Amino acid sequence: MTDLPLLMKSLVDKDLRVRYKRSVLGFLWFLLKPVFSMVVYTVVFTRIIRFGGAIENFSLFLLTGLLPWNFFSSSLAASTRTLLDNHRLIRSVYFPRAALPVAAVIANGVHMLLALGVLQLLLWLWGHAPSLPLIAALPAVLMLCCLTSGLALALSVWNVYYRDVSQFLEVVLLAWFYASPVIYPLGMGMLPPRVEHIIRFNPLSGILEILHSAMYSGTWPEAWCWISGFFWSAGFLLMGVLVFRRYEPSVVKEL
Amino acid sequence: MAALPGAVGFRDVRLDYRLYRDRSVTLMQAVMNLFGRGTTRSWFTALNGVSFSISPGEAVALIGANGAGKSTCLKLLAGIYSPTSGNVSTSGRIASLLDLGVGFHPELTGSENVMLNGALLGLSQGEMKALMPEIARFAMLERFMDTPVKTYSSGMFMRLGFALATSVDPDILLIDEVLAVGDAAFQERCYDRIRGFKRRGKTIVFVSHDPDAVKSLCERAVWLDSGAVRMDGESDAVLGEYLLSAGGNRRVERVSVSPREWGNREVFFERVSITGEGGVETAVFRPGTPLTVRAEISGGKDRPVENVILGYSVHRPDGEVVLAGNNLEAGFPLLTVAGRVSAAITLRLTTLEPGNYILGVSLTGNETDYHWQDYCYPLALLGERMSPPLRLEKVEFDCECR
Repeated sequence: MTDLPLLMKSLVDKDLRVRYKRSVLGFLWFLLKPVFSMVVYTVVFTRIIRFGGAIENFSLFLLTGLLPWNFFSSSLAASTRTLLDNHRLIRSVYFPRAALPVAAVIANGVHMLLALGVLQLLLWLWGHAPSLPLIAALPAVLMLCCLTSGLALALSVWNVYYRDVSQFLEVVLLAWFYASPVIYPLGMGMLPPRVEHIIRFNPLSGILEILHSAMYSGTWPEAWCWISGFFWSAGFLLMGVLVFRRYEPSVVKEL
Repeated sequence: MAALPGAVGFRDVRLDYRLYRDRSVTLMQAVMNLFGRGTTRSWFTALNGVSFSISPGEAVALIGANGAGKSTCLKLLAGIYSPTSGNVSTSGRIASLLDLGVGFHPELTGSENVMLNGALLGLSQGEMKALMPEIARFAMLERFMDTPVKTYSSGMFMRLGFALATSVDPDILLIDEVLAVGDAAFQERCYDRIRGFKRRGKTIVFVSHDPDAVKSLCERAVWLDSGAVRMDGESDAVLGEYLLSAGGNRRVERVSVSPREWGNREVFFERVSITGEGGVETAVFRPGTPLTVRAEISGGKDRPVENVILGYSVHRPDGEVVLAGNNLEAGFPLLTVAGRVSAAITLRLTTLEPGNYILGVSLTGNETDYHWQDYCYPLALLGERMSPPLRLEKVEFDCECR
């Protein structure tokens, strides 16, 4: 009975409208936050630790990883709370509740796409002209959205039972950030081979590497990236849907 | 089973909630619970074996004490909960007035909120646009639709919520005592709209504690008691039984006197019935309706018994007499009983204090007690409580000033 695409569109629309009410810079914040962190990391890693000097236009390289990472972490932070935040709504009208966490992810996804567009423009200005491998970025974004949605569905439910989930998430995200190829590239010998081998099993590594090669290097991504990206995103999405379906009837009574 | 739009069915429905025996309050308790088995689970059965069905166009009230499972039933009907076992079936579009305006975001304007919430109710953007003027008109907010709802008064907020929730043309309308919306005039308009749905043959399921609201809207009532159907039938009858048993939420004390009968039974009551308007047997009386006590009296088989006095008394639950009288005192002819006689006493009462009362009847003669039935017939008298229950005739203050 419910028109799911329309419901999703409405929820995303609401999220976008509400987020920047009473904010002067509005949407720019989604770009400004990664830019500020980019500046910090650039200073730290090229002036203080002298690590990023080997990478040409290290700042732009950083942004290519920071934008999807910021999408990932802020989507999870937002969607984990969605069921609790909307408890009165959930308890007074029936609608497919999975739409709530997923809409939070999609709203962040819209921002990410816009920000990636701006980034692509910057890359072009600094001599990284768009080339054919750029199209690889689209499936990567799609896989990232699926992976994030799956995780968001599961976390939103678990957070109803254990409020610790949202606290724990912050800590996990901190570690996950440094274990992901955001501030460093893979395959350039910057990490000890054993560490790099382990990091390739990070669910985000494949997707981030695809974005790095498609947008920053302009080369076709390696095969392992596709395999990793596909299996992790399909796996997480499936897990999220199963967890949500399993717990949805009882979670409504817990709210 | 292909049901008509508006049909509702509950078949052996059970619903369990999980209870936490221990919700740790302090951090210390929480830490201790990590090591012990602090969060033992137990289950609370909110509904157990509930079955009823409602045909399209019926208006049914769910009544019962707090925690009896009324709201749980509505949530099951709205599809918010799914039953632990059993089957809940509904057909057609459902509008639920369980809570109003909950999907509204304070920063968005009235019309933005209406558009966004339309999708939650399952309406397309086009349908929603078409309904918008009517929603604004009904909520009396035409001038405020482009203002953020956080600037609305709580009455305006609820009005918009009500207008939105009822703007969809539902087959089934679920109402959970949310009608305390806005001022009296708007409440009346809400009831009008609900009665309009009823006239157009929509199914209504109504949860309320207000017997008058139930009677005016619903011809059938289902009484839920501790998660089970205790009685299902005509709302007058169900409401009467409910009010008698529960004290109708108006009085806490139970009837503290038990029926007693005595007398020499030379003349006796064969059968006593209490009827209301139209001669229907009932125990519940609305203000302004007559109360008739019909008695079948036997006796005097060998020789007629003359000058029999037929009396009545109305007591409070604690036994205190409120009213009493008989045909002698009231100037009506005395009875002569030979074989069987039927007699009727019709009372017209003004109820100043609604609640439970007990009626007694008596047959007496000159210094003989034929048959007394004290505290035998419980009554529930409805109506507004007249306050104050005391009236001041005069007051004086005296003060001896030094």
